[in-house]
Amino acid sequence: MPPVHRSVVYEWLRHDKKFPHVWCPGCGLGVLLGSLVRTLVNSGLDKNRVVLVSGIGCSGRLPVYVDVGSVHTTHGRALTFATGIKLANPDLTVITVMGDGDATAIGGNHLIHAARRNLDLNAIIVNNLNYGMTGGQYSPTTPMGAKATTARYGHIEPSFDISALSATAGAAFVARSTVYHVTQLDKMLSLMLQKRGFSLVEVLSPCHTNFGRQNKLGSQVDMMKTYKRDAVRQERWEKMSQEEREGRFSIGVLVDRDHPTYLDHYAEVCQRAARLREEAKS
Amino acid sequence: MSAKSKAKPETKPLKEPAQGKVSFFPAWCKRCGNCVAFCPRQALAQDEWGHPFLKSPERCTACGLCEMLCPDFAISVGEAAPAVADTCPAPGKPGSPVSPNHSPERLAPIPTEE
Repeated sequence: MPPVHRSVVYEWLRHDKKFPHVWCPGCGLGVLLGSLVRTLVNSGLDKNRVVLVSGIGCSGRLPVYVDVGSVHTTHGRALTFATGIKLANPDLTVITVMGDGDATAIGGNHLIHAARRNLDLNAIIVNNLNYGMTGGQYSPTTPMGAKATTARYGHIEPSFDISALSATAGAAFVARSTVYHVTQLDKMLSLMLQKRGFSLVEVLSPCHTNFGRQNKLGSQVDMMKTYKRDAVRQERWEKMSQEEREGRFSIGVLVDRDHPTYLDHYAEVCQRAARLREEAKS
Repeated sequence: MSAKSKAKPETKPLKEPAQGKVSFFPAWCKRCGNCVAFCPRQALAQDEWGHPFLKSPERCTACGLCEMLCPDFAISVGEAAPAVADTCPAPGKPGSPVSPNHSPERLAPIPTEE
């Protein structure tokens, strides 16, 4: 990826929106914001043809800082608003940024149905394993046994695997990355932008303020070091045995497939309807 | 990624000195310490207030990882800092013409009346 001059990156930020941003010191969302802006600049897209949509939560604040079309919507409904935007104007590049609670709990239905429809949307899900903004309650991705504000003695529910869920639901492109592997994250985001169809990138991000504090994981530096320790490239992951996989996770492109998108089917149906109308007239 | 960086020789000859290539914007820095912790060549350090500075410029290869890992856009690598950053006190400090809530572009040299 060619280096981007910082002034170009800063042109894509909104300086009247009170930088430094609202997130905690060391929050992974800032790293993701930088990565996203770099990717957008490098992709050569027109600033006025990109729309960022977000729901509620810490991640909901992200589009506010980027000088593109941005919509800050209701809780869990980022993908529904994005669906409307994309169908109204299919030329736009629509990117949704959601947290794990936003995408899989409140908007869980929308996530699987957006993946099933395979509309040409880009979804970034920032997974910090809890509800960070409201004080560290457990979310659908909180690992079993982990402590949370609403699970003082350990969480007793199995957790969602966001990537596997959306892959099963029919997404065209699914990738996972962490904010520690920032060059790889840049690459995944640019692949996501190039892909036609529902593309999803799950980004693991440390929440040292809530999840890290309650589970005694240390600062965000310590949490990012665990990403470095536990992350395995997808190519190697496929060759690993079940015992080796214990406690680790894969990063990289998990699913990359081509099947017709919603827009293809929609164009087909429009043509068919127009033909039937012509036949009825004549 | 870690395997790749390990494979690189430890003492790589520098093409050009990286001195003056890393600029810090203290007004945006939240002193989280990402840049210092993950510098592959340990060229950065934190001062007594937690702000990062280029402790060993001769070790810096200007790889740009600190810039990418900074959540607050408070580091830039590759371009020398504007001259005003050297001559004026840091933003927010007494005597600085820049407010602590400025944007980095506003660190551009202030035109002098002649």
